[in-house]
Amino acid sequence: MVEKTRRSNVGDSPRGGDQREWEVFVRKDDTDPMRHVGSVSAPSPEVAHEQATRLFAWFAEDVWICPAEETHRFSTHDLDDDAKPAPHPNGEEGRTHEL
Amino acid sequence: MISVSKLLCDLDAEGDGLRYDAAADSDADQIRERKQQKPVVVWNLTKQCNLYCEHCYAAATEERAPGELSTDEGKRLLDDLADYGVPVVLFSGGEPLVREDLVELVAYAADLGIRPVLSTNGTLITPEKAAELRDAGLAYAGVSVDGLRERNDAFRGQEGAFDAAVRGIEACLDAGLKTGLRYTITERTAPDLEDVVDLLYDVGLDRFCFYHLDYGGRGAAIRDADLAPAEKRRAVRRVCDMTREYHERGEEIETLLVGNYCDAAYLVEYARAELGDDTAARVREYLRRNGGDPAGERVADVDYQGNVHLTQFWQGYSLGNVRDRPFSAIWDDDSNPLLAALRERESHLTGKCADCRYLDVCRGASRLRALGVHDHPFGPDPQCYLTNEEVESDDVSV
Repeated sequence: MVEKTRRSNVGDSPRGGDQREWEVFVRKDDTDPMRHVGSVSAPSPEVAHEQATRLFAWFAEDVWICPAEETHRFSTHDLDDDAKPAPHPNGEEGRTHEL
Repeated sequence: MISVSKLLCDLDAEGDGLRYDAAADSDADQIRERKQQKPVVVWNLTKQCNLYCEHCYAAATEERAPGELSTDEGKRLLDDLADYGVPVVLFSGGEPLVREDLVELVAYAADLGIRPVLSTNGTLITPEKAAELRDAGLAYAGVSVDGLRERNDAFRGQEGAFDAAVRGIEACLDAGLKTGLRYTITERTAPDLEDVVDLLYDVGLDRFCFYHLDYGGRGAAIRDADLAPAEKRRAVRRVCDMTREYHERGEEIETLLVGNYCDAAYLVEYARAELGDDTAARVREYLRRNGGDPAGERVADVDYQGNVHLTQFWQGYSLGNVRDRPFSAIWDDDSNPLLAALRERESHLTGKCADCRYLDVCRGASRLRALGVHDHPFGPDPQCYLTNEEVESDDVSV
């Protein structure tokens, strides 16, 4: 039995300045998992894709773009003043099963 | 950051001290070495500024922008930076003096053993504020001035900015703070370069940092105002000549070049032509050890919202956010392909930079300018002003 990791929902502080912020995910080829590689500032997903392409075209086959404000983050990191503890189911549950 | 005065005039480089003295409290070699491998961190405390400069890489605004790291969040960030071994934090903006907790944060950093330094437009520095910053442990104040009165005020968006900045410089010097000039060389500001140095030397300043324009924030919008490569070369030569002339008169100013490591190669060429092969060889070896362009390695940026950037100029792309993840974890995450590639950029550079015989002292200069002009982070820096002969020569005696 393993105790579950307790995380907090990292606050909803703005991440962009004059433009929206977009989380960027890339993979090198179609057998790789998507990898989070940071974020870009852009007014639209199309421009965000252009920005990401300029940065990662030399590396990535696929690029996914996600609005930063729609990405809900749950983290054990405790810097954020506004982080709220995430709901934590009671009790413990097994993560591994020994046969 | 390349110290012209050290390389050409044998003046000890204050810049080295500002970066590395944070480790001076330890006699342990491994601690010194560890701190020297960690980046200087620029922290843009706020996006708010009382001026509106044409070239502002942070695209600062008159109003406070939402999402600033709070005082407590900032202290937790500084805790992480100290644990990671960051030697220097450069408090910047926007204008950092609009934050009421600046002195508190400077003192907190100093208590942690981080060397706190400041980048400011100087206009809000009163004698009282300068004394508070000194007492808090501030190690250095860099004040931005971009020309004599008329040019500076036009460039920085406010009449009276020049006089206010000079008053700020005087307040810092009177308080005993180590203080220097930050001067961005563009088409519009280049004509005043020597006159500004002469004027501020008379005020009491002896450290002058000259920045090349990088293409971030509003700097990207005034690319046309950047000097053409040949003019840039002439401006750098003027800095070299001026530095030597001052020293020959016994006035030991410190001069530095920032933001275009093509300058490193040029300094070797200049030293060979003016001072001989032995000096050129010494200059080259020093610059090789200095490591060339530092983006993604020896300099990092945390913006006012906690986004981590490859340099302070490259704010359109973020590696992560310190509210989600410690700075140290973000910076050490070599699974980011761009970060990893920057750290072995020699094998990724293309075009003129890839085969340049000065690659070891320059390392391709600004990747942000390459991205801005060529849409490729490993294309050639468009502001390289070396001649083809200098780039391609097989003569590697220096």
